[in-house]
Amino acid sequence: MSIEPITGRYVTVTVGDASRRIYFEEAGQGRPVVCLHTAGADTRQWRHLMNDAGITVDHRLIAFDMPWHGKSLPPEGFETQEYLLTTAAYIETVLAVIEGLGLDRPILAGCSMGGRIALQLAALHPEKFGGFIAIEASDFQPAWYDIDWFHRPDGHGGEMGAALVSTNISPFAPEVERWNTLWMFMQSGPGVFRGDLSFYTQDDSLIGRLGDIDTARTPVHLIVGAYDLTCTPEDAKRTAAAITGATLSVMDELGHFPMSEHPVGFRPYFVDALTRMT
Amino acid sequence: MIAQLERMQQQLEETPHLLGIGRLFSETVLLQVGDDEYYLTFDKGHLVQVAPGPSKKTPYRFAFHTDADALAQFWQYRPAPGFHDIFGLVKIGRGRITGDILMLVKNLRFFKAFMALNRAQEA
Repeated sequence: MSIEPITGRYVTVTVGDASRRIYFEEAGQGRPVVCLHTAGADTRQWRHLMNDAGITVDHRLIAFDMPWHGKSLPPEGFETQEYLLTTAAYIETVLAVIEGLGLDRPILAGCSMGGRIALQLAALHPEKFGGFIAIEASDFQPAWYDIDWFHRPDGHGGEMGAALVSTNISPFAPEVERWNTLWMFMQSGPGVFRGDLSFYTQDDSLIGRLGDIDTARTPVHLIVGAYDLTCTPEDAKRTAAAITGATLSVMDELGHFPMSEHPVGFRPYFVDALTRMT
Repeated sequence: MIAQLERMQQQLEETPHLLGIGRLFSETVLLQVGDDEYYLTFDKGHLVQVAPGPSKKTPYRFAFHTDADALAQFWQYRPAPGFHDIFGLVKIGRGRITGDILMLVKNLRFFKAFMALNRAQEA
């Protein structure tokens, strides 16, 4: 028997004019690191790092489920709403959670859409953070698929979404973690992955803001997997090149969900990224 | 290629969970490899016929077009980026999907797993 050091609680914050009951997990002590999950998934993507005593010995890792995801319920009246994530709502949610938890200039580590919003925050609210780790993140990618595939009454959006995103998992990923990663997409609520992708594939506002990022004030490090066909190494290189002072690591044997699909392979890149956040 | 497809047909029969995933899939798929065509007819997840083309008379629901070298790389144990997935082949310009793509997406896990049945295993 073993009990993991990860603890989970809820924080209620206000986003827009409504309250949001947000589920968050944390482990460790020391410098806070807020970890953002990808589209269509939840905090479980970060569990390996949160259980890593070598990392949590001097870092307090905090991950939270965005509203509509994981254990964070959708807002009241969701049954009549179309979920479409926006940059503004995403930024407001991240800032509200950080304020709600009383975090002082945490490092922000985000993957995929979480990495995209990390770069948005690097441009718009750098004073609130100690650094940014943008994983599988770039300025913009239009969809190479139809996001409406993943929310329709005659098909299981979660299963179709999982089958699609499996494209972005490396063949080096252990099978058990490949399927644990895909399970989160299979579990995703109806329309949630589509609503996340709406933000990810249609909002290109970051492109014009990359030049505003001041890495002398807050470091920015990008990490990208060679098997990521959604945010390719070329996408990440283009993005890093547009941010003066940003650094980039390419992981030859990893894909779009590195902390989840191949935690052992990802660990050294994440540890390296943390050392750059000074 | 016929021998490889027939081997995949046999492996499919020996993979019960995959037959379960494909139990609602009863369609004909065109697999085009270079200039060669193969019409794969599935019935409730079973591959019941492998018919070489060309044929202008065989209706099919969707088609996957690729080339022999790309498919050989796709079937390696750990393919290079892009060659590891049929949508990856499309993204790198070595594959193309035509026809009813929604039918493919609804059965994507099944069809991806079927196409990977000929993939080399770890030595």
